Amino acid sequence: MATTHVPTANGTVMNGATSLVKSLEAAHVDVMFGLPGGAILPAYDPIFDSTIRHILVRHEQGAGHAATGYAQVTGRAGVCIATSGPGATNLVTPLMDAGMDSVPLVAITGQVPSAAIGTDAFQEADIRGITMPFTKHNFLVTKADDIPRAIAEAFHIATSGRPGPVLVDIAKDALQTQTTFNWPAKIELAGYNPKIVPDNQSISDAAALIAQSKKPVFYVGGGVIKANAHKELAQLVELLGAPVVTTLMARGAFPDSHPLHLGMPGMHGTVAAVTALQKADLLITLGARFDDRVTGKLSTFAVNAKVIHADIDPAEINKNKFADVPVIGDLRETITALIPALKSALAKNSQDLAPWNASMQKLKSTYPLGYTLPDDGSLSPQAVIERIGKISGTETIFTAGVGQHQMWASQFISYEHPRTWLNSGGAGTMGYGVPAAMGAKVGAPDSTVWAIDGDGCFQMTNQELVTCALNNIPIKVAIINNESLGMVRQWQTLFYEGRYSNTSLESKRVPNFPMLAEAMGCVGLSCERPEDLDATIEKAMSINDQPVVVDFRVHRDAMVWPMVAAGTSNDEIMIARATAPDWDSQEL
Amino acid sequence: MSIHTLEVLVENEPGVLARVSGLFARRAYNIDTLVVGPTSNPEVSKMVIQVNLEGHSLEQVIAQLDKLISVISIEELVEGAKKPVKDTQPDYQN
Repeated sequence: MATTHVPTANGTVMNGATSLVKSLEAAHVDVMFGLPGGAILPAYDPIFDSTIRHILVRHEQGAGHAATGYAQVTGRAGVCIATSGPGATNLVTPLMDAGMDSVPLVAITGQVPSAAIGTDAFQEADIRGITMPFTKHNFLVTKADDIPRAIAEAFHIATSGRPGPVLVDIAKDALQTQTTFNWPAKIELAGYNPKIVPDNQSISDAAALIAQSKKPVFYVGGGVIKANAHKELAQLVELLGAPVVTTLMARGAFPDSHPLHLGMPGMHGTVAAVTALQKADLLITLGARFDDRVTGKLSTFAVNAKVIHADIDPAEINKNKFADVPVIGDLRETITALIPALKSALAKNSQDLAPWNASMQKLKSTYPLGYTLPDDGSLSPQAVIERIGKISGTETIFTAGVGQHQMWASQFISYEHPRTWLNSGGAGTMGYGVPAAMGAKVGAPDSTVWAIDGDGCFQMTNQELVTCALNNIPIKVAIINNESLGMVRQWQTLFYEGRYSNTSLESKRVPNFPMLAEAMGCVGLSCERPEDLDATIEKAMSINDQPVVVDFRVHRDAMVWPMVAAGTSNDEIMIARATAPDWDSQEL
Repeated sequence: MSIHTLEVLVENEPGVLARVSGLFARRAYNIDTLVVGPTSNPEVSKMVIQVNLEGHSLEQVIAQLDKLISVISIEELVEGAKKPVKDTQPDYQN
């Protein structure tokens, strides 16, 4: 049960649309991203008078990803709003994306009038049915009286437990009917009561297992950031002194500069991070979900490791990997309880972790992330991303699209703080970068926000730069322009004998990105030579009253390394094409 | 494989059957039989679902079912007696 603050409007007669807006205000919404249309039109009349900032996007998908960017930066629910039919279906991708990455999102959609539902009416789509598989929950509201409770429950469900997207579909006549506003004082859902505080027994079992381990590794997932548990994690790591890996969704949960941090595990993880998981005798899994991009071929993943799996979602336990000790609860509560339990367990029984740490540190120093500069003197994509990270600093918020540039941005930018790295991890949504950066900048207006984007991704959602230009949202976009769908091309190079079927975008010819940027009210810059790189980034950094787009025209053939090919074992990690680490020189 | 019978109490609301059957379909669990009926509480319906599954898969079905907001409780029927799944899986309370 959750209690809420009852607004003064309670008991006032109004129409459903006003009731919706009063409900959003009561849920402390300060901004929403949306685009009106027929079925949602009644709601846009009271929105006109509301204190809530409404940002008019150019495509509903942009509204959805912007709400996600806002949510990922602030930790609060992001809100997007669209009309029925195509307006609602344009939210499908962001809702799926938010579901995969556990983002608290509330989507409001208009629906055709209740009497028309089921008649194939104009702009009718069963958006509740469509979004059932990937929303945490959804509602179809057909009566004005039900609007406040649905909105209150939507925010409660989206932001509590394992966060997720919730859709509220409201029939047009419900928005138009008179009702007495009635915001619920408390929310009770018989079928929903997330377990927050972990069982004492599971905590002491976990502590005992950790104290017995000679080769433990902290396998840290995005749940640590969602639970705001990064400070507690740092204390726990210091207490044990064991190595840490942070997944793609957890970059920033633990400082990259910390000596115990081995980097990111997974398909494009560091040799040290991948090997640490493979060779460990214990995985201390915190808010991670054994995704296939992390485990590689599951039957060969961490075969000698016992598993502690701490997560707020019981359905994650034993889903992909058996957990010897499951710990169900909020991660901040869990880690806070684990610290004193581990202290007393270590006082009775502790292992010498020095040999394990030494071998991991040796791997880390022997196989650092790196790249070779192109022979022809052209611009290196990794160098562009690395220099943007260095010049803009660790307080900067970065978003990415999906593909090679995303992997390089996770590898070559140093993340020191949570909520500074936003990307589409589970869904892999190309086009996420620009609208997510827009939402992030709205949520953190004083921070520099860079979208590291690909030329393919950018061409999917760049229309939101118009929204940014008109609404004083001065984001910066780095297009890593290799004129290709680069990651797909990399797979064609490696697995399809260089047969580049439909991956050449020719984006160094068309479109002219700086002109496109200027046309959308942004500053457009271009950089093709390594000697101009720093000056171009500094120029972009100096412009803070307009969005900036930089077309970094980079070498086409750069590849993301290391790599564990899809479906193979993590033991088959390659540090370059056909080059495995020299395992014989390592004692593990 | 063996037949397990689950008695699932759900919110009596439009679409709840789609939520449950859709979950089985998208996670590739087969339903042998499914019966829905009323309870003494008009706000709650009862589903009796038979599945042909073994240990790990059954555990996942129950855990995923329990994640649905509209699902209030799940019990396994064993030889005519009700066995609350919560008792066998103390960590699976929600």
